[in-house]
Amino acid sequence: MKKWLVPLLPALWLLMSGCTGLPAAREMGDMALLRTMGVDVSPAGVAITGSTGPRAKGIQGEGQGALILEADRESLSVACLAIQGQSDSYVFFGYVEQLLVGQGLAERGVRPVLDYFARDAQLGLGAQMWLVRADTARQALAAGGDQGVESRLETIRNDSKMGIAQFTRTAGEVYTDLLELGCGYIPALAPDGEGGAVLAERGYAILRGESLAGYLDGEAAKGLEMLAGGAQTDILQAEVAGNKVSVKMTMAHTRSHLEFQGGRPSSLKLACKVEGRLAEYERRLSDPERQELKEMLERQEQARLEEAMKWLQAWGTDCAGLGAKAAAGRPIQWQRIRESWPEWFSQVPVEIRVEVNI
Amino acid sequence: MSERSEANAPHPRKEPRLPGPLSLARLEEVFSDCVDFSKREVYLHGDRQRKAVVCYIDGQARSERLNDYVLRPLAQNPMLASAPEGELFSLLERGALYAQSAKRETELDPVAFALIDGSCALFLEGRDDCLVFPVATEEKRSVGEPENEPALKGARDSFVESLRTNTSLVRRRMRAPELKIREHVVGRQSLTPVDVLWIDGIADQNTVELLEQRLESIDIDGVEAAGNLEEYLVDAAKSPFPLMPYTQRPDRFCQGLLEGRVGLFADGIPLGWLLPGTIDQFFKTGQDRAYHWLVASALSLIRWLCALITLLVPGLYIALVTFHPEAIPPKLALSIVAAKQEVPFSTIFEVLIMLLAFEVIQEAGLRLPGPIGATVSILGGLVVGNAAVEAHIVSPAVLIAVAIAGVAGYTMPSQDFGNALRLWRFLLAVLASVGGLFGLAMGCAGLIYHLAGLESFGVPYLAPFTTGTKVPRGHPSLLRLPLPAMKWRDGPVKTRNRRNQR
Repeated sequence: MKKWLVPLLPALWLLMSGCTGLPAAREMGDMALLRTMGVDVSPAGVAITGSTGPRAKGIQGEGQGALILEADRESLSVACLAIQGQSDSYVFFGYVEQLLVGQGLAERGVRPVLDYFARDAQLGLGAQMWLVRADTARQALAAGGDQGVESRLETIRNDSKMGIAQFTRTAGEVYTDLLELGCGYIPALAPDGEGGAVLAERGYAILRGESLAGYLDGEAAKGLEMLAGGAQTDILQAEVAGNKVSVKMTMAHTRSHLEFQGGRPSSLKLACKVEGRLAEYERRLSDPERQELKEMLERQEQARLEEAMKWLQAWGTDCAGLGAKAAAGRPIQWQRIRESWPEWFSQVPVEIRVEVNI
Repeated sequence: MSERSEANAPHPRKEPRLPGPLSLARLEEVFSDCVDFSKREVYLHGDRQRKAVVCYIDGQARSERLNDYVLRPLAQNPMLASAPEGELFSLLERGALYAQSAKRETELDPVAFALIDGSCALFLEGRDDCLVFPVATEEKRSVGEPENEPALKGARDSFVESLRTNTSLVRRRMRAPELKIREHVVGRQSLTPVDVLWIDGIADQNTVELLEQRLESIDIDGVEAAGNLEEYLVDAAKSPFPLMPYTQRPDRFCQGLLEGRVGLFADGIPLGWLLPGTIDQFFKTGQDRAYHWLVASALSLIRWLCALITLLVPGLYIALVTFHPEAIPPKLALSIVAAKQEVPFSTIFEVLIMLLAFEVIQEAGLRLPGPIGATVSILGGLVVGNAAVEAHIVSPAVLIAVAIAGVAGYTMPSQDFGNALRLWRFLLAVLASVGGLFGLAMGCAGLIYHLAGLESFGVPYLAPFTTGTKVPRGHPSLLRLPLPAMKWRDGPVKTRNRRNQR
């Protein structure tokens, strides 16, 4: 290689990367690392609340309370800038891992928030997204006090990975669903406990378009989890011939199949396979009793799925992506109805078949 | 030409150095003002009519040998007094004296240098030629353990300053007559013997010739340090990375010869070089073939990893903490923020100062005698480090990053290679402080470009990772495969015999 090419190549590389200069240095010692961000609607436009969570100070790490910063402005970017001015440290948004959205904002639309997270250099779509049910994100963050809500949200996320809490979703996953399916679901939280100091799981918020369509609670929420491919925290109780039995569901997988007649969807068939294991029983089950238990469980799971599908069809929100999954076998027909699938989803008859293996 | 420019011009080398015929008077003139030059006149068997003069350099010749094998027969052998005068010289040359060789010389130059090498010169009255008998002293350091390459499972001998001892250590291990040893003399004033060793039929003959050409072209005053050879044999000026791997261990040296490398010894330097040098040679230890292949491979990988750690950790720390904090895991970031809050200096300054302090402590420890050196290390490393952290002058994270980088550097089997990494560590830290990860990446690209441009005796420095030699390599250099699977010699560029086993 020619010697004069050596400085030329890095320069070319620099130009092609779009860099206009070297990155700016910033010392971490004077940074306030925001861990959680709440977004609500406000009379001014949008209300931002940021929390650092409990901070350590000095090398001994003696604890400092969470720093809560708030700003109400006409837009997200202006509010974020306003937050910068409130702290004696440089507020760094790169560590925002939790995004709380108030119900009011969800009713108005979450797309602007997700757009901002996608575009901002520091914020990212990897943050966990939650919807604060019947309250504002600011209230939820304030309820955490000095200890903040970060550790609680982190615990829910870790529990979810282990299957002992409801599904969690990142802002990126929700954003993708909204762009591809036109709907999505977000885990919902609500202040609970004395003075609302603890955030508790409260089902799922269903988004249609970009705004809140409704909530799925209880059995319907379980049904959504089964449709979305999981069996979270699910223990079913049954009584077989006087024998009280608890069955822990370990896996659920739903396959969807779309039938067409004359180019129009005629039925949506859902086949759900559930696996469980006996967690508790008073006496060992005989084969007929085991069969009876299996049928009971299948009925229970079927009821859950029907409940979930009832609401999802009512809102026209196929947020589990059933149509898209079914389309894999019928790509040509799917292309014809893809645009109008939300309407078809509301109308198409659904056949649900559940098979439980114990 | 002015007087000054004449003085600055290189002096032409004279061959022979002392031209002209031999005579005792000329020899004495050569060694005038040499207090160690000695001359002894002897009557042959007490015959005052027959006088011999023995010349030698005191300290170079061994006095017992001189007395017993030369002077005693001259004084006591009656045959020397009775033999016809015309046959006397031939009698001495052919066995009247008890020396392993006797060589008749008529020129001044070889006699002068033979005396310097420890021989004695015997002149008979009335003749200008002389007989040279080797009576050199063998005072030298005995063969000891290799201090820089300790052996836990293997031979414990190491090279010494005596060239002939070193070649004998090799010859004892490599008994094949194909082991060739050729001698060159380097240095106008030191006249240091330098030996080139190779196994005929295995080593690349072109490499041997190239090495000998370069040795012949060295025109310096003396070979007093390893650099006197290294910096003249390879183009070392443009790179801090060593291009000539060396070892103190004869077993490792012989292994290199078996791989097809060419060995090099210099008198007075207790180590042997192996050529050509590629980067993987500096990561190998003498113990690699002694341990189980899995253990040796794991240790080899650790050494490569440590090279990356020592090179990159300070720069990476600066880049992440100063420019890209979002890449640090949140809990670690919180710890760094907490530890950094009361430190008055910037991270860049902290890291560079700590790197410098680390070098200073290391240098101080090396220069002082052993026990004091250890004390300085403890005082500098622990007491001052701890006090600096407690006084919030440096943050503990910086101290840990620099210490990890420093300790990782000590895993390098080659001190020279470790030193090169230390220099580049500074450069990468500076680049990272200018451009963050971008600067660090540019520095790494520059380092790879630099290494890719190096070569040692026609072999690319990065040959283990490239196909620059156009020779397929038999085994990955990062790992030490089971020996039955290591069938190929990867030392020579060209050889008639690349396979080393059935």
